[in-house]
Amino acid sequence: MSRLWGRGWKLALPILGVGLVAAMAAASTFAASATPIKVAVLSDCEGAFGAFDGQDLAGVVSAMSEYAGAKPVNPNDPRKGWTGGSIGGHPVKLVGIGCSNDRADTAIKETKRLMEQLGADVMIGPLSGDESIAVANYAKQHPTKTFVDGSAGAQDTTLKVQAPNFYRFNGDGAQWNAGLGDLAHNKLGWKTAAVVADDYSFAWTSAAGFIAEFCAVGGKVTKRVFPPLNTTDYSSYAQQMPTDVDGTFVAVGGAGLIPFLKAYEQAHGPIDGKKFIGNLFWGTPGQFEQLSARVAGAYAGGAGTAGDLATKEAQKYSKRVIGKWFKTIPPFGAAAPQASSTFTFGYFINTWGLIKGLQAVKGDISGGQKKLQKVLGKVSLQTGYGPIKLDKNRQGIIPVYYQQLYTKDGKLAVKTVGYIPNVDQTFGGTFSSKTPPPGRTFPPCVKRSLPWVGKTQHPKVIP
Amino acid sequence: MTTRSVVDRAIGGGALALAALAPLIFSDYWVGALLTQTLFLGIVASSLIFLSAYGGMVSLAQVALYGIAGFVLGNVVTNGNTKGLNLGWNPWLAVVLAIAVTVLVAVLFGLLASRSVGIYFLMITLTFGVIANLFFGQVTTFSGFGGISGIPAPHPIGPVDEHPNRLYYVALVVSVLVYALLRYVVRTPFGLTLQGVRDDPVRMASLGYNVVLHRTLAFAFAAVVAALAGVLFVWWNGHIDPASIDLSAMIDVLVIAVIGGLYRLEGAWLGAFVFVMLNNYSRQIDFVGPRFHTLIGLVFLAIVLVSPAGLAGIWERAQGALGLGGGAAPQPATAAEAPTRDADV
Repeated sequence: MSRLWGRGWKLALPILGVGLVAAMAAASTFAASATPIKVAVLSDCEGAFGAFDGQDLAGVVSAMSEYAGAKPVNPNDPRKGWTGGSIGGHPVKLVGIGCSNDRADTAIKETKRLMEQLGADVMIGPLSGDESIAVANYAKQHPTKTFVDGSAGAQDTTLKVQAPNFYRFNGDGAQWNAGLGDLAHNKLGWKTAAVVADDYSFAWTSAAGFIAEFCAVGGKVTKRVFPPLNTTDYSSYAQQMPTDVDGTFVAVGGAGLIPFLKAYEQAHGPIDGKKFIGNLFWGTPGQFEQLSARVAGAYAGGAGTAGDLATKEAQKYSKRVIGKWFKTIPPFGAAAPQASSTFTFGYFINTWGLIKGLQAVKGDISGGQKKLQKVLGKVSLQTGYGPIKLDKNRQGIIPVYYQQLYTKDGKLAVKTVGYIPNVDQTFGGTFSSKTPPPGRTFPPCVKRSLPWVGKTQHPKVIP
Repeated sequence: MTTRSVVDRAIGGGALALAALAPLIFSDYWVGALLTQTLFLGIVASSLIFLSAYGGMVSLAQVALYGIAGFVLGNVVTNGNTKGLNLGWNPWLAVVLAIAVTVLVAVLFGLLASRSVGIYFLMITLTFGVIANLFFGQVTTFSGFGGISGIPAPHPIGPVDEHPNRLYYVALVVSVLVYALLRYVVRTPFGLTLQGVRDDPVRMASLGYNVVLHRTLAFAFAAVVAALAGVLFVWWNGHIDPASIDLSAMIDVLVIAVIGGLYRLEGAWLGAFVFVMLNNYSRQIDFVGPRFHTLIGLVFLAIVLVSPAGLAGIWERAQGALGLGGGAAPQPATAAEAPTRDADV
């Protein structure tokens, strides 16, 4: 036996030596060949949503810092990007930040620049609806690259385009408004409503969510008005808004919201908050503070976010994730209170989803990124506001919250009052790949049953 | 043949040879994105320069016409999209239809605009451009704000992303043909009459020429050129929306023409090259970043001050300084000059 051991050692030592040398060589080869993962981000630094550029990028950089070992270059300027960071030994390199302006044409030009000139492997973005439809179509033509959404919420992006390499962990505009129709009809007692929405894909989707649910529970939408995005003088559109309705749903967003409300007041007198429901822009940090206290009492659709949620996870996300990596997010000031913005959260969860996918394949994006794309569709996130998983079109199934505006110490504030878990893009079977896309006349006002009607939960919030 | 024209031809031949060999010399991005873009922007700018240099008409409607061709093509060839007509027709039939519809619209525009001259012509064509932009922005049947995505280039040109060189060569061939055609047309009786109309419309009318008809036909002919650029643009971009033909896009093409030189057809591609390169590379400079239009505005200002005849004019002057003899070039017809001529009449 001992002779056998002796002979074994004689045999084993050279093998061990060769093995060690081979392992060292492999390690050095791996280190030398750990190709960087080239990441591009597409944000809007101009146009109707240009003010939220900092929030978009803070979401991306925070996720990279929290989950991929990166660090913000400047904790007061998200546009400076990040340094460091790696996944599976592959450095995560920021090759460029695109500057779009809510227009699909610009988004495509910037995407081409980021992907083709700067050679990005993956892209995070864009911000808004029609941009995302164009980018999803671009993604379809570039199957060896991977795209995750930023915060765009047009329905067509995933339900109709169905690019196999485009992933969206955030909800669409209709999902975000789940619960509002039920609220308006069954709690506020609205029998009739008017709708005003920007004339483009996201706002059509946002309005579609309210209209589908309000009509499903028996309400009637008597007027739909669609001012073009980037309108500066809303007076003619405000004049068209009827006053003989029980309430008005407003899906005018970004730079247009305040001018629209001013024009409305000039046309019809002071706003009665109880007769208004707004979409996510009425509760978005950075935007709602600009509203007058006169709109107190109005309800606002969310974006799957609830900054005041009294859970450890929600508070950790804002204070110990966004608030940890950024002190301020320009131009709106302190970072932590902006964590629940659609834009910060949207870019954050999409980046996080991408990181989880990359971690699952140990940063290996070889072979046309097929492995990454396969695992990305199965990634689920336990976010500060609840769980998110993807459906077969790679679209998030998300928790939805809605808020109410009120005055606190004389200032306008937001509190979360409604919660509906697991809202999917079909909106309770209302939409499918075969139904027309949301638009000026779709969906029609018809009664139907929706699974969450009458089941809205009321989450515990921090006062 | 003068020394100057020999030098011009040698440079032209060299540029063409370089363009033909570009895929062997430059990166895919340079060929597929920058040079292809240069070519179709050069084509649309050449339609403007043709009208300006030989017809005395500085038109801001060329981008609208190029957009009309693009929107027609997008509506006709796509299938299963959520926007547009989704007719799914044969792509080559769509090209013919796109050019035909563009020319039809151009005839209507031309009939209205060709009675005016100078700054008034410029303003009317600007109005056409704005109308086209608002039409496609508002009429969701054909486009709407988001426009039409996923427009494929036909086989064997496409898929463009897999074969960027093919579209580049198509754009190069179209550019050469357009250049040759424009050079030919200005030497035909129609072209000579058009130059007569540019120089003295009253005299031409008294000689029995139908000035309005000539201007309209020239406008329609330039629309064919602009439509070709529009077709190449949507094949290249795969997408078109109202922002593709907004005021900024109209001014971009005017800037290209002015930078290149409003009185030499070659200036169209020269201006387009400078514009595309500045647009692409200036964005990577932190100081410039998204302020490209400020930069191009400064370049525009410098060109207008230093050489009103554009980069082509600088070359002309350099040739003069080098004593290379004089070649005949068409006289510039700027918006500022044309009313003066009519005032003289």
